[in-house]
Amino acid sequence: MQGIAASQPYVIAAFLIWAALMKLLSRRMRSQAGQTALARLAGPARAVPLLRLVAAAELAVSGLLLAPPSSPWDAAAAAALSAGFLAYLTYAAIAAPEASCGCLGAHGRRVDRRSFARAGLLLAMSVLAAAAGPYPISPESAVLAAVEAAALIALSPELDRHWLTPLRRLVVRLRNPLAVRDPGLIPLETSLQLLYRSPAYCSASAHLSSDVQDFWDDGGLRFASFAARGRTAVFSIPLYGGGPADVRVALVDEPVPR
Amino acid sequence: MTTRRQMLKSALLGGGATVVAATAMGSLGPEAAFAAAPPQPEPGVPDPDFAEGRIRSIRGNTLLVLGSNLVFHRIRVVDGTSLWKLGPVGFDEAKPGDGLYARGIRMPDGILAAESVWLNIVNIKGHVRNITSEKIHLDHNGQDVLCHVVPGKSVAMHSDAPPTADLSLLRVGQHVQILGAWRPDTNEVDIATVFSPH
Repeated sequence: MQGIAASQPYVIAAFLIWAALMKLLSRRMRSQAGQTALARLAGPARAVPLLRLVAAAELAVSGLLLAPPSSPWDAAAAAALSAGFLAYLTYAAIAAPEASCGCLGAHGRRVDRRSFARAGLLLAMSVLAAAAGPYPISPESAVLAAVEAAALIALSPELDRHWLTPLRRLVVRLRNPLAVRDPGLIPLETSLQLLYRSPAYCSASAHLSSDVQDFWDDGGLRFASFAARGRTAVFSIPLYGGGPADVRVALVDEPVPR
Repeated sequence: MTTRRQMLKSALLGGGATVVAATAMGSLGPEAAFAAAPPQPEPGVPDPDFAEGRIRSIRGNTLLVLGSNLVFHRIRVVDGTSLWKLGPVGFDEAKPGDGLYARGIRMPDGILAAESVWLNIVNIKGHVRNITSEKIHLDHNGQDVLCHVVPGKSVAMHSDAPPTADLSLLRVGQHVQILGAWRPDTNEVDIATVFSPH
């Protein structure tokens, strides 16, 4: 147990340093600080100084974790910081559900389950490290550290564009989930776009008073009827091939029942 | 319905007796463009010939609609009224709970005689988060919207190209605008048109 937990401080410290550097160095992060829940908590003017303060705390805790005489209090400090993250996320979810968390760089996603899971994982790792105390690193603890690092990355929406989006693109390319199943079906919208560009529609549009009332296909043509101030306008639109000039129109004096 | 369709078809192709204007060239002529334009509402005044809201109940051919500004509308639907719900539909498709936009003529008794009614129509912009079987998962300002592809109805328009029923060129991560029909009280939408900037 203790041997397995020995790598925890390094994973936590690496993650905290990364989070701190993102807060301190990312220009985009500073420009979007007003959209984080921190801005709601402390006022937009204090969002950037507060971000820097959090980054300094993260650096300090990671310094404690990495600097040699290691004691359980180092991990306790990390646990306190993680508990603070959880409290902040809870506040954000309740008080500013529209805001992003500002944890690890700028992004538009609001606080969700993944943010809580990430902070919870950090807390669990800190508690584990505090309980285990100093111990030499074993191969098992290295495996655990790799798994935890992967989990922290997977739980960070800020990093989705680096791995999740390309992965989904690959799956879409392999599976082609939007492939046309029945090429025989011709959506009405394709005919309507042809209709709207036709001289027949342009000349008749001033008469039209409704959207499409009815449409049907007959003999390679699609017919669409519109109300036209008490009359009916009927258009024929070629289904296969044919350009806007092939659209025909007739105004029919068929009194629309009222 | 069939006889009406046949009458309209023969009017277009054969020149029936009731035809007011038709031309083999496909156009009614330029003067038609200046035919009686509908009166425009005064600037800053609510358009009396327009209504929006959600259907509370349906009585006969009249929709009782509560607007988002809590104004109550009575909207009469007649045979000549066009109804849209992901495409032209019949009056029986209008259900209590549906959102709508309606345009028509305000009668002296306050009823809106509808010429066009669009049910549940929505226009949303966002990023494609994921694409799964016949579905586009949209991120709209941080909110997830599940957009269903409806075979035979959904089309994609890439830039200025003509619309296509093939939506497979859409990519995860890209920005899109989706015109569709909302499924009431859910975060799901049936896609009419996906507009893609490229």
